[in-house]
Amino acid sequence: MKRIPRLIFALCLLASGSIWAENTDGQSAANTSSELQPISFAQWDGILERQLGNITVVDFWAAWCSPCIERFPHMVEMHHKYKDRGVRFISLNLDEQGDKESIDWANDFLGRVKAVFPNYHMDENMTEAFERLNLLGLPAVRIYATDGTEAHRLSGDNPYQQFTEKDVENAVQDLLIQ
Amino acid sequence: MRFFKLVVPVLLTALLIAPAATIAGEYNMVMSIGDPLPVFENTPTTDGGTLSSADLEESVVVLVSLANHCPWVRGMDGGLVELVEQFKGQDVRVVGFAVNHRDDDRLSAMKEHALMSGYNFTYMYDESQDLGRKLGATRTPEYFVFNADRKLVYMGLLTNSPARKTRSGEISFINGDPVDFHVANAIAATLAGEAVDPAETRAHGCTLEYE
Repeated sequence: MKRIPRLIFALCLLASGSIWAENTDGQSAANTSSELQPISFAQWDGILERQLGNITVVDFWAAWCSPCIERFPHMVEMHHKYKDRGVRFISLNLDEQGDKESIDWANDFLGRVKAVFPNYHMDENMTEAFERLNLLGLPAVRIYATDGTEAHRLSGDNPYQQFTEKDVENAVQDLLIQ
Repeated sequence: MRFFKLVVPVLLTALLIAPAATIAGEYNMVMSIGDPLPVFENTPTTDGGTLSSADLEESVVVLVSLANHCPWVRGMDGGLVELVEQFKGQDVRVVGFAVNHRDDDRLSAMKEHALMSGYNFTYMYDESQDLGRKLGATRTPEYFVFNADRKLVYMGLLTNSPARKTRSGEISFINGDPVDFHVANAIAATLAGEAVDPAETRAHGCTLEYE
């Protein structure tokens, strides 16, 4: 009798391990979790490397960023529209390291908008993260071509050149017809 | 020889012109250190008046982009009020400006926020967003310090440790207690006729919403 609970426990461990492997690997059909996964700079580099062969849209956001929250549902819509056309969607949350209040809020938000693509939290110092990722402000969207090169960088960094949801979609479509 | 006579002056002229024409700040896509203060006229302020750049007579002028709703503005309001207090009685003028069109960032909300936060400086509403654009301001708060010749000598962060007001109302400094007071140092150096170092830092905060 003692063997059965052990077996169930082992199976649970195995299942959770496989989910983690899928999530850290980038994206898979089985990945339906919207929870943020904390990652380091090195893990982020690895995640991007593993997207080779796909068009990849990365949405940089934070719970404190109102325009990010307003725009995020469009990213979810785009994911549904393009997921079967070789386009992957990833979000990278840049809330403060160790800020449980914001992370909890972000997880609740991701669940509400049904963001069933890989959602990561950069678990590094925020100042360093913005420097390392070469970000000035949020929201920001980067779109990578199938060969891994950054094809489009959309941000509010230039007051004379702002971006809209339509610009993100146009950029994806541009890459799809190439 | 004719070739050199023709090409060398052209190359030299291009070298002289190119930096001014193409290089903006490291973290600002419009303004560079040394650029002049953009002209603004009759911009409405929270005290019911208006302000123009021509009204500014002080030796040092500090412009700072703000947005009432922004947790980073709220987190650093205290530091901004302290900065103004620190240079009270000296030849320094601090002017805050907002550009967003969302209701909670407009002039009526600015008046409430200025009162609630104890703003001790002029706070104006750049509804046209013209000043914000000319400054290349994209985040709140983002500081711009100008000298007596109205040339930009510093732009970026208030201190090395940006602070945010959390959902539960606490002030959270992302790099611990500030140790480098960039704007205060820039003002002090400019008043003393010294060069500002660093002249530029990466501002951190909410993104300004240009229409």
